[in-house]
Amino acid sequence: MDGQAASLHGVQTTSGRAGAPGRTQHPSWRWIWSGVLIAALAFLVIYPTAMLLLGALTTTNPVVEGVSVADVSLGNFLTVAGNPNVLIALANSMIACGGGTLLAVAIGLAFAWVVVRTNTPCKALIASAGMLPLFVPPLVAGVAWAILGSPRTGLINLVLAKIGIPWRFDLYSMPGMIFVFGIYYAPYVYMFTAAALRNMDPSLEEAAEISGASPTRTMATVTFPLILPAIISGMLLSFVVMLGIYGIPATLGTPANIPVLTTYIFALTAWSPPLYNTAAAVAVILMIVTGLLVYAQQRVLAGRSYTTVAGKAFRPRALNLGPWRFLTLGLAIVYLLVVVVLPSLALLIAAFRRFLFIRDIPSLFDMKQYGWQHFIKMFDNPLTVTSIINSMKVGLITALVGGVLAFAIGYTTTRTRAPLKRIIDVITTIPVAIPGLVIGVAYLWAWIGLPGGLYGTLWILALAFVARFIPDTVKALSTSLMQIHKELEEAAWICGRGMLGTVFSVVLPLARPGVVAAMTLLFILAIRELGSSLFLYSSGTMVMAVQLLGYYEGGNIGITAAFSLVQMVLLGVLIGFTNLLSRGAARGVVRSG
Amino acid sequence: MSAELRVEHLRKVFSTGHPPVEKAAIDTVSFTVAAGEIVVLLGPSGCGKTTTLRCVAGLEHPTSGRIVIGGTAYTDPAAGVLVPPRSRNLGMVFQSYAVWPHMTVRQNVAYPLRARKTPRAEQGRAVQEALELVELAAYADRPVTQLSGGQMQRVALARAMVYHPQILLLDEPLSNLDAQLRLRLRDDLRRIIKRAGLTALYVTHDQTEAVVLGDRIGVMRDGKLLQLDTPREIYNRPADLFVAGFTGASNVIEGTVQGSQDGFAVVRARSGETLLARHGSGLHDGAAAKVALRPDNITFAPASGPNRFTARVASQHYQGTQTVYELAVLGTTIEALEVGSAARWDVGAEVTVGLPPELCWSYGA
Repeated sequence: MDGQAASLHGVQTTSGRAGAPGRTQHPSWRWIWSGVLIAALAFLVIYPTAMLLLGALTTTNPVVEGVSVADVSLGNFLTVAGNPNVLIALANSMIACGGGTLLAVAIGLAFAWVVVRTNTPCKALIASAGMLPLFVPPLVAGVAWAILGSPRTGLINLVLAKIGIPWRFDLYSMPGMIFVFGIYYAPYVYMFTAAALRNMDPSLEEAAEISGASPTRTMATVTFPLILPAIISGMLLSFVVMLGIYGIPATLGTPANIPVLTTYIFALTAWSPPLYNTAAAVAVILMIVTGLLVYAQQRVLAGRSYTTVAGKAFRPRALNLGPWRFLTLGLAIVYLLVVVVLPSLALLIAAFRRFLFIRDIPSLFDMKQYGWQHFIKMFDNPLTVTSIINSMKVGLITALVGGVLAFAIGYTTTRTRAPLKRIIDVITTIPVAIPGLVIGVAYLWAWIGLPGGLYGTLWILALAFVARFIPDTVKALSTSLMQIHKELEEAAWICGRGMLGTVFSVVLPLARPGVVAAMTLLFILAIRELGSSLFLYSSGTMVMAVQLLGYYEGGNIGITAAFSLVQMVLLGVLIGFTNLLSRGAARGVVRSG
Repeated sequence: MSAELRVEHLRKVFSTGHPPVEKAAIDTVSFTVAAGEIVVLLGPSGCGKTTTLRCVAGLEHPTSGRIVIGGTAYTDPAAGVLVPPRSRNLGMVFQSYAVWPHMTVRQNVAYPLRARKTPRAEQGRAVQEALELVELAAYADRPVTQLSGGQMQRVALARAMVYHPQILLLDEPLSNLDAQLRLRLRDDLRRIIKRAGLTALYVTHDQTEAVVLGDRIGVMRDGKLLQLDTPREIYNRPADLFVAGFTGASNVIEGTVQGSQDGFAVVRARSGETLLARHGSGLHDGAAAKVALRPDNITFAPASGPNRFTARVASQHYQGTQTVYELAVLGTTIEALEVGSAARWDVGAEVTVGLPPELCWSYGA
């Protein structure tokens, strides 16, 4: 223990009440506390990841033969990695996510420029509406666009046929996936670039103008190079998120026989017999690609962020577009129409309309065609209600366990001198590089071979979600903890409170908005999580996201749309509730999947 | 190359608040900067000095008035003339330096030349010359992010001067630097600008900076130009109470005008004593007057002369090389400053002070 720590705790021990657990007269207390945290993280993160790696390196079936380390060999992994089907899925993933990312950059960058740098009317409204896609579960987005753009029965194609245009959209295709990826993940690029544009000192551009540079030259030589790190960073992040998405390729790619890594991994476990080892190996490939990209993103963010010298807030230069501002407003409205209004309309029509077949335009407005029958049929299925209740339970467990663990980790790493903080920090960050689906496969490997264990319970889902979302939760909580001045705690110690007493009487009340926001966010993320749920649910532990996929694959569009709406309304209420609570405390940490 | 700048009846009006209220950021300002002259606009924040400078740069558009550089109108809303900043051939140094962090020193300074498509060989020579002028030639190939604040500001200066602009504009260029560096760069700045023979318009809120740098100083307040004069005139013949106060004449003695004597106004203070002061314009007999006086113009224990009064020392602030006293005199309290490390007067002591009549300025109350 270093001297500073000793003196700090000297204050605390002399005034701390006897028996307070924070009493650290014996340094062993701190070691025990760090040990407990590391053990919890090892259980949640390290053990499943290790089992996943083991699965990728062996050929023994964990269900039939149990887990064994007998035939560990890199050869098993390389055999899978060299399989042409795997390479096709990998290539498809790269094309779909690469194309989607390019589209997302084009839209996100344009959107950021319009909102930050022009005098387009209703900018603020446009900006907040533009963030809505972040909250739509990818599966729901996929379902909505399948309803809109399936080649024969898609609503858009029906309308096109009615007005006599021979062109048809086919969303069940690679371009379809790229399109939906691109429009739904543009907000990631927008968030990064809008912030960079907003924080740029306007005199950097004015200096170029005074120097004699034309507006285009200024943009090319000053503005663009300065926001390039933000663009690259947003690009890599959206690529990583797309790579781990299951819902969109499952709804749009699978019908057209276009496997990507995520859908391929799930197909492997749905084989008969399930190819768990192959699935693990492909999951490891997905994890490696993700890890490399996340590493690249961190490097970009760390190395080339140009902070400007003056510490004052800037008012960004708003370009006066003159009459052209109505064109930019129009483009923004088109984007919102495509990404928010059209899909919502599609879901509403499909959910309430008796038959999706639309004879002509007037019949679209014929109210006799609409009713609650899909909702009634949906709730007739006992699995619907079960899945809703299960999702709520899982969400609650995730929020409580995850919230408490994240608070413990956040407090320990930001406010105490506990040993091994660095290790705790590193393990907490690992899941950033693991897509949800891979966590699902890892947890499958970790628990399927253990009889009477977690497998088949709601807890395995909740713990997988905690592991998946722990980095974001800890980050959000640390931010709100760092806003509480250290002296507020020290004052309580001087007043004779022990460390734990201080946490409960001072820190927790002050950090409450942040803690509540983080826990609500965990709840929301848990009930919409599909990727990891796929591998961990059983007939008794059906959850909403999986049940929705079941309805979609069952082919009943009406019920699928109805259930999508139920989930969207539920999420909408929860998100509104969170915003009310947090007032911006922990916004912008939604990771999708 | 350097040209004359004429600002004529410049006016810029903003609408703010609900319901919108019109407020003049610049209220009919006119002045001329001769070729090769340095004029400093001095004033508190929000007085319109930076807005005036930015109108000259073409970065902001005035509501009315004209900006004429070297005989050509660059801004003249009435005639529909508004030349964009890039075509004005002006140099500007910004408060936040605004050096581009993704370029080296050389790339920053060469940027205006490249925008002007100057031949390559000439570019190299001009950049070298500009960097030598600001004493940064040895740093040419460093990324600017590795420089200190003072060095960055000198890069900004080299960049603004490398193409021999018609006029150099400087917007509080020293306010982001620490105090010591500010003093050094202040002296350097005047030397460099003068050596290049540039016409310069300089904006600051620091009166010592204005005195050292400017050939003439324009004091602004609430969008109006109150006085434009040499530093010596501003300090010794301030046009009004605000200019007097802003340049350091912190003492104000209230009284009534009671005729004149030897060309000075006779002002009866609250204590009943009378003092002589420079006659303010429009002050007739019987009018209420305020007499402003700098603490450093008060003399202690003068042997003879007019305006001698007995004061009581109310407090003493010893500052090492000088001492500031608060004196109860003429029915009010004024500050007086005596240079020297000896604090001669103790609290409670009575001392005779002299207020030189030509350095006492009376204004209408």
